[in-house]
Amino acid sequence: MAILEILEFPDPRLRKRAEPVETVDATTMRLVDDMFETMYAAPGIGLAATQVDVHRRIIVIDLSEEKNQPLVLINPEVEVLDPQAETYDEGCLSVPGFYETVIRPRAIRVTAQDRNGEQQEFEAEGLLAVCVQHEIDHLDGKLFVDYLSTVKRQRIRNKLLKQQRSKA
Amino acid sequence: MPRPECPRVAAARALANLLQHKGSLTRLLPAAAATVHPRDQPLLGELCYGVCRFYPRLQGLLDLLVSKPLKNKDADIQALLLLGLYQLQYTRIPDHAAISETVAATRQLNKNWARSFVNGVLRQYQREADSLARQLLEAEAKAHPRWILDKLKQQWPQHWEAVVDANNTAAPMTLRVNQRHCSRESYLLQLKGAGIGARPCRFSATGVILETACDVSELPGFNEGACSVQDEASQLVAPLLRARNDSRILDCCCAPGGKTGHLLELVGSGTWLDAVEIDRRRLQQVQQNLSRLNFSANLIAGDATQPKQWWHGEPYDAILLDAPCSASGVIRRHPDIKLLRKASDISRLVRLQSHLLEALWPLLRSGGLLLYTTCSVFQEENDGVVGAFATGKTDVKLLPVSTTWGIASRWGRQLLPETGANDGFFYALMEKTEPAEHAANQGP
Repeated sequence: MAILEILEFPDPRLRKRAEPVETVDATTMRLVDDMFETMYAAPGIGLAATQVDVHRRIIVIDLSEEKNQPLVLINPEVEVLDPQAETYDEGCLSVPGFYETVIRPRAIRVTAQDRNGEQQEFEAEGLLAVCVQHEIDHLDGKLFVDYLSTVKRQRIRNKLLKQQRSKA
Repeated sequence: MPRPECPRVAAARALANLLQHKGSLTRLLPAAAATVHPRDQPLLGELCYGVCRFYPRLQGLLDLLVSKPLKNKDADIQALLLLGLYQLQYTRIPDHAAISETVAATRQLNKNWARSFVNGVLRQYQREADSLARQLLEAEAKAHPRWILDKLKQQWPQHWEAVVDANNTAAPMTLRVNQRHCSRESYLLQLKGAGIGARPCRFSATGVILETACDVSELPGFNEGACSVQDEASQLVAPLLRARNDSRILDCCCAPGGKTGHLLELVGSGTWLDAVEIDRRRLQQVQQNLSRLNFSANLIAGDATQPKQWWHGEPYDAILLDAPCSASGVIRRHPDIKLLRKASDISRLVRLQSHLLEALWPLLRSGGLLLYTTCSVFQEENDGVVGAFATGKTDVKLLPVSTTWGIASRWGRQLLPETGANDGFFYALMEKTEPAEHAANQGP
């Protein structure tokens, strides 16, 4: 297993649309393992393959404190169950250090394949619903900063660029 | 997504936004609460509410401790210091834990430079707490903005200290028992059965005060409408209108709908009740509250100062105007008022309140009642507004509000906030008379 590099906004590779996974094979498994390791090290609760520059529709999530409830979503689809808006101060491992309020539907139904390629379906609300929607956005080349005003997004972009330059 | 936040980090972020006037606690806290683990949400709430409640005092101490003011972009560090001082003074968190957790938060805020600074300031406070407290100005020591304290002293010379005390103490959770479901006595028994300690209110015949606040989901029959969360002072409003089920009622500035629901409990569903609210999102909240009680009303998203835009032309028998106000009677429920409200807001609010009264009065039928209420304890917004409205009008007759509670004022009745009991509230009841019936107004 390996810790992968997480792309940071405004890296254009975060804007690529991820392709569906046709077969869940050993390569997929290895990628999933690496994504979990990367996410746990961050520390994070959700990571999309796009963020580690692999443009396939794969998400890993673990909301538990003990890191013992890993959730793998391959080719995930979402259906809104309750469109009532829920606000949440979202952060993102690709936009480190910034938290902004984003409004999303409150409750969703998720269908996806698990790490063995088996079809799974569950309902989510609260943090899980936010996290799934946030990560699926990544697969579509979208970031939570896209929900903010241009001014705010620009400010975050400039600050991050400055940080990235000073690190490089 | 990143892992949930530590409560102190989330509190510092929310309070930093508040310090920069980017929103109210009511708006910022739910968003911040969503970033922390659910088990940390009560602590987050206590920290945010506590810092606001004692902000003038904590900031006064901070000004003594830190000679150079922090830059705007370091509002989160200012918030963190206030959080540290709050924990040291007002919580049971052991001092060493309060300091180390607060200092640790600097790293998660990406402010590593502030680590030793925050540590130094909090430790200096620990050493010099007594002498620092002695150096505070009176308003700071009493944790009130100077202009609010001055106004309270001037307007309530007998009562201001009790008001200050009430403002500095968390409000109790008060329920209104739905008489259509059961009596207060029987609901008190149900609460007891559920292990929830409660006692009857003094003035509201349907009110119950809980010993400790709880989640509404723990309340017996809450989802079925057996009770609503509403302060005792607000519970006194609806009965004053003496509405009946054949009355045509207008409820203005109705969100979140506590009084709307109460009116319908009194008169029954099927009564003509128009409920107007300017904020569409808050109108949804009214809808939810009414649905839970199994009532409906004509909910109107509209500007109450512009009845032409929504009024159907049929005069009302009863109008409730719960006017937007400084909320100075509910500071204990919205302690961020101490940070956000400015002295100059009052004249703007008075203009709006007067405007509302003038705009709604023509909608009342002759013989009908208009009840003007605010959750303010400032006389400008209460007697001031009603007096200016009624003086010189020949069709306004002030009626007495009550004699069993509150303080009689020239034009109405005032309740002052009381520790462990009701909020501060003002009530003025006006009847519309035939213009010729009596001479220009001199008071009730």
